[in-house]
Amino acid sequence: MPTSDQSSRTKQVYWGLAIVGLILGLMISTQFRYAREIALNITIQRAQQLTDEIHAATVQRDRLQNRVEELRHKMDQVAANPELSRLRETLDKTKMQAGLITLTGPGVEVTLNDSVVALQPGQDPNLYVLHDEDILRVLNELRAAGAEALAINGERLLATSEVRCVGPTVLVNKTKRLAPPYVITAIGDPNTMVASLKMPGGVLDVLQFWGIQASVKKADLVTVPAYSGATNFQYARPSGEGVNNASD
Amino acid sequence: MPLTKGFAISIVALILGLLMAFQFRTHQLPVTVIPTDRAQALTQELKELHKELNALSVEANDLEAKLLKAQKGVEEARAALDNEITKNNMLAGLVPVKGPGVELVLRYAPQDKPSTHLFTLRDEDLLRVVNELRAASAEAIAINDQRIVDITEIRLAGSYINVNLTRIVPPYRIVAIGNPEELRKMLEMPDGVVPTFHDWGIDVELKTVDEIEIPAYQGNLEKRFARPATKGGGA
Repeated sequence: MPTSDQSSRTKQVYWGLAIVGLILGLMISTQFRYAREIALNITIQRAQQLTDEIHAATVQRDRLQNRVEELRHKMDQVAANPELSRLRETLDKTKMQAGLITLTGPGVEVTLNDSVVALQPGQDPNLYVLHDEDILRVLNELRAAGAEALAINGERLLATSEVRCVGPTVLVNKTKRLAPPYVITAIGDPNTMVASLKMPGGVLDVLQFWGIQASVKKADLVTVPAYSGATNFQYARPSGEGVNNASD
Repeated sequence: MPLTKGFAISIVALILGLLMAFQFRTHQLPVTVIPTDRAQALTQELKELHKELNALSVEANDLEAKLLKAQKGVEEARAALDNEITKNNMLAGLVPVKGPGVELVLRYAPQDKPSTHLFTLRDEDLLRVVNELRAASAEAIAINDQRIVDITEIRLAGSYINVNLTRIVPPYRIVAIGNPEELRKMLEMPDGVVPTFHDWGIDVELKTVDEIEIPAYQGNLEKRFARPATKGGGA
């Protein structure tokens, strides 16, 4: 029976191999997952730390913002001197043109939110999410329809204001984080602005095609708050003396 | 006996195969929510906040100095107010400004090579460039000498693009004042506007400049509908 003895030993060897293979496979896979978890933990800790710092900086920013506003107000009082009344008028006018004064007037309110369409397997969810480009396009359309002042979720938009998607939120004016739904307020002729947005094949049509929730309503009185951020220039300086006084 | 031998080997192969497949799937799924990306976004946000904090304290100091000066007499007060007015005018885009920055020129390839350009540039492409420049803290921007202000539209009208109700034609020359390196980096990002336009076959020329001039807004900023709010206003 040497042949049968040999074959049972070979069988044992094969079984041993199989078990070793199994354990090795398991070890390798646990090892991989463990390593990934470590990496994830580190970034979560770091993200936590960053979030704390962001929170602290935001509080500090708001405090400084109030201080600056208070100082701007004091500047107005300086101009209260009757000898400076002409300058005071100019100061007020330029503040209004620069976006440093809260404005009210007739206008529209546009509300935008992500799609509610249930995704079919295999569809790209990215197509059904609101992008910064969509917001930019709505703003652009409102400007083309003669909007005089614009704000999104209470953040005034100036010549230098960007709209940037960061994950599911939007950053404007560099440091102001906004969450959906996004409400754009615009002062101007309500009829022109609504007609322009609702044009067939226009901005709202395109957004609604992707299932994005977009609606516009006219209002007799909307408020566009003053810009509250810093306004100093680090690189630009006036060149020449020319001032556009077309609105005088 | 070759039957058992084959059996054992197939089991090993099967288990290993399963493990590998499982491993592959757990490894692939989370790629869409890269955690480092989030840390990166937060770092960027923190950086912007610190910049804003810095700018706000500079502004507070500046205002304090002006107020102090203004208390000395009418002449000093006048100078301080003039200074504020100029700053507001710069912000509104009503005065020409100069400073360091970038110049971006977008040209179509010559007509005799029609296959080289895939797309014509649309209003939304220019909007994107402006938005990127703003995100990189540009202080003043103009397209073909049209100053970009808060109510500037960039809009396709027929086959042309209107900026400030004025028709502009290619080549598009976009200039911005700000930190030249930051502006350049933003435009040249891997999925930024410069590589994208380049892929479309558009002739892209980007350079940083030590000094560039940007004209004032030529239109009228007078408001027909908006009025200062009587209370709770910033004034």
